[in-house]
Amino acid sequence: MKKATQIAIFSCAVLLVGAVAVAKSVPYWFAPLMDNPPQVDITDPELIAKGQYYARVADCVACHTAPGGKAFAGGLGMQTPLGAIYSTNITPDPETGIGNYSYADFERAVRRGIRPDNVALYPAMPFVSYMIAKDDEIEAMYAYFMSAVLPVKQDNQVATIPWPANMRWPLAWWQLIFAQPREFEENPSLTAQQNHGAYLVEGLAHCGACHTPRGIGFQEKSLSNNDSEQFLAGSVLEGWYAKSLRNEGVGLAIWSEEELVEFLRTGRTHHTAAFGSMSEVVEKSTQYFTDTDLHAIASYLMSLPPRKGYAANWQPTEDTTTAKLRSGNITEPGEIIYVQECAACHRMDGKGAPRVFPALAGNSIVFAEDPSSLIQVTMAGGKMADTKHDMMAFTMPGFYHLSNQDLADVLNFIRNGWGNHGSEISTRDIARMRRVVDHAPTHYVPHENVNVPQFSSIVGGASHE
Amino acid sequence: MNKPIIAVAAIAVIAVAGWTWNESRYYDAPERPALNVVDIDGNIVGEYRAPLARDMLAEENAESIILGMRLLNETARLLPDNVGDGLNCNSCHMAQGKRPLGAPYINTINDYPKFMPRAQDVLNIQERINGCFRRSMNGVPLDESSVEMQAMVDYMDWLRGDVEKGNRVSIQNMEYFKVGQFTPDPVRGEQIYVQQCASCHGGNGEGMKDQFGDFIFPPLWGDESFNLGAGMARISRAAPFVLHNMPLGVSLDAPLGQITLSKQDAVDVSAYFTVKPRPDFPDKIHDWPGVPKPPDFRAH
Ligand code: HEC
Ligand code: HEC
Ligand code: HEC
Repeated sequence: MKKATQIAIFSCAVLLVGAVAVAKSVPYWFAPLMDNPPQVDITDPELIAKGQYYARVADCVACHTAPGGKAFAGGLGMQTPLGAIYSTNITPDPETGIGNYSYADFERAVRRGIRPDNVALYPAMPFVSYMIAKDDEIEAMYAYFMSAVLPVKQDNQVATIPWPANMRWPLAWWQLIFAQPREFEENPSLTAQQNHGAYLVEGLAHCGACHTPRGIGFQEKSLSNNDSEQFLAGSVLEGWYAKSLRNEGVGLAIWSEEELVEFLRTGRTHHTAAFGSMSEVVEKSTQYFTDTDLHAIASYLMSLPPRKGYAANWQPTEDTTTAKLRSGNITEPGEIIYVQECAACHRMDGKGAPRVFPALAGNSIVFAEDPSSLIQVTMAGGKMADTKHDMMAFTMPGFYHLSNQDLADVLNFIRNGWGNHGSEISTRDIARMRRVVDHAPTHYVPHENVNVPQFSSIVGGASHE
Repeated sequence: MNKPIIAVAAIAVIAVAGWTWNESRYYDAPERPALNVVDIDGNIVGEYRAPLARDMLAEENAESIILGMRLLNETARLLPDNVGDGLNCNSCHMAQGKRPLGAPYINTINDYPKFMPRAQDVLNIQERINGCFRRSMNGVPLDESSVEMQAMVDYMDWLRGDVEKGNRVSIQNMEYFKVGQFTPDPVRGEQIYVQQCASCHGGNGEGMKDQFGDFIFPPLWGDESFNLGAGMARISRAAPFVLHNMPLGVSLDAPLGQITLSKQDAVDVSAYFTVKPRPDFPDKIHDWPGVPKPPDFRAH
């Protein structure tokens, strides 16, 4: 080998060793355990109750519970481009869960993303958002987890990401670059109520984890509207497009504050319904929010100005579709497929049935900038949030069996029907989503921990699967 | 250049090419499963797949098939002179008459004319459809030679595909329940109704209407519901229908997200809604002429 090559290889090796060494040291100086941890009275019922509320606002249960598994026992698989990672057991079981966590351990894991063994967590755990949570909120959650969550013995699953990508030390570098400590900053031009909304949205409620576009390092491009208008501008995760929540044409411009509150509380309005991961968010988290918190969030979202270059409003075109379908002037493949496969529920006027089947006419997810959610909900189906506000939660069947051409035709039809207007969906877009659906992550629930529902409704199965 | 560098570069190129190829592979829907076509002795003589919706447009008599499809879907709106209640044919014939256990039309054309116990006679398809108009639709018969009647027949004929007369598609049909083999509990039935049906059919069985006043979900009792002469007014027919088809929109299963209830649930809830007040069918006295009437015959 030439001398130059030898030197090159040698310097690379030195750099690598250096990088690993620095990374290994990061948790100790960048995010150390807190100095004088407060004494948290984990038996205080009031504190526990508060902790339950904050844990719901933070939606810990959604990620830390696998479908069909025990609450907080982990095992939920999350797809990354390189493989699946699994959430962990955060029940107070001392061996497999967080039973041995001190308050300082808990605070550091939740706000700084470092495990007690000084290893950095994947940013799938939204510690970057939780970082701005107040001390009393973290303390209350600690009391709740230690005292009110049922311990479950369930081992954690190892990520399926292959070596060398599964090494964790680079995560420490990620934290150095993207997870600098920060505090919530009030925006003086907002009302107190809106600032409270901003605090929740940026922090515990972590709306940006799904709704803010991510950069090359998988970091949220913006953590607050004070930094950049990319905040809550829309993002795709596991093939679901969590659309822009800004007050702009492709965002929430057609929504009213009241509708937003109703949506977050019940998972539906008269013309739309939450599906995909948003359905989970409502079912496990936002349905429990207090009115004060819900109105604060809604009012704050309504205050977010449109991005530069984006229209502030959305105008429907004239609806010629209803009359065409009702008069039987059916000439296009998309129309006939709609009548045969979809109209029984979504109807000729595209208005569905209030609180049962969502409307497609004027539904912002149908004409969203990015059609991922539209394609996936049609292909894989979706289940509404099951909340205490409605007797039944309805489900959209999956139309995976329809060909790419059929799906493209019917989706282009609804995307441009009833006054909707959106970009063209190609059969390639459908093919790509089929791939995402085929590769949905599997979850881990050990046999003995399959969750048997505690009450059995007299007619098992339908609304509570 | 020396060998290691070339090797590394080659590996990198292959890896990138392989990844790109894998990413761009074109996935389409799996081949649709087929049902067997059997002859009169039960021998398998072919395969059946429902014709594709898009292919309807290319049929020679497309206009008539489409009209038929619409009439079956929107009977009450399109034939107000013949329909006396808020139902459509496809309120009961699920998913465009294509669904197993959902009263499919797939074999209908090949099955008729057929002996009907209720009439103690052989009925042709037009007579059979008119039976529905008088009972399930609480209305008056349609002219057998009308464009509309022909259109409905044409739709069913299209659905048959190329299955020849004498053969049948082995699609599952619901089995009627036998009165006496179960003990209905209408009180429990009411609870089930409130939990599982009322969201769509209304607390008083009144159904749900759209902005035009057309029914989205059909009324299950009252003046705008099917009459006493309808099969659905008999628990032996209502219960298996409910068992396999209701509620809908509650599972991920295409076409309509239906589930299978338990038999007892289906019987109990049917015992609750079938006996609610509904229009009379005076001609019921002519049903089952000369033979004993079935135990769930609805005199009132
Ligand atoms: C968006 C999904 C998500 C949410 C919401 C979430 N977590 Fe996590 N959490 C994860 C994932 C994934 C991991 C595992 C990360 C890893 O292995 O690096 C994790 C890891 C943890 C750990 C480290 C456990 C260990 O010892 O390995 C703790 C503690 C934890 N979460 C607590 C919480 C609490 C408390 C909340 C609510 C305030 C919460 N998490 C909300 C996804 C989430
Ligand atoms: C786990 C990821 C996730 C989180 C966290 C999340 N969302 Fe969503 N959200 C989605 C997805 C995916 C959709 C698209 C599906 C839909 O419309 O129901 C969505 C849709 C919505 C919609 C409906 C948009 C429309 O036009 O129909 C609103 C409003 C919304 N989210 C608000 C919020 C708020 C407020 C928060 C924070 C409290 C939040 N979301 C947190 C994933 C998420
Ligand atoms: C059995 C009734 C049923 C049929 C048939 C049906 N849908 Fe749906 N659809 C629903 C329900 C229920 C939801 C709400 C799902 C959720 O919230 O998870 C829904 C949601 C949707 C949504 C998302 C809108 C929103 O705001 O939630 C789209 C888009 C959609 N359906 C398109 C279609 C298309 C296209 C077809 C035909 C190929 C179709 N649906 C057939 C019941 C149905």
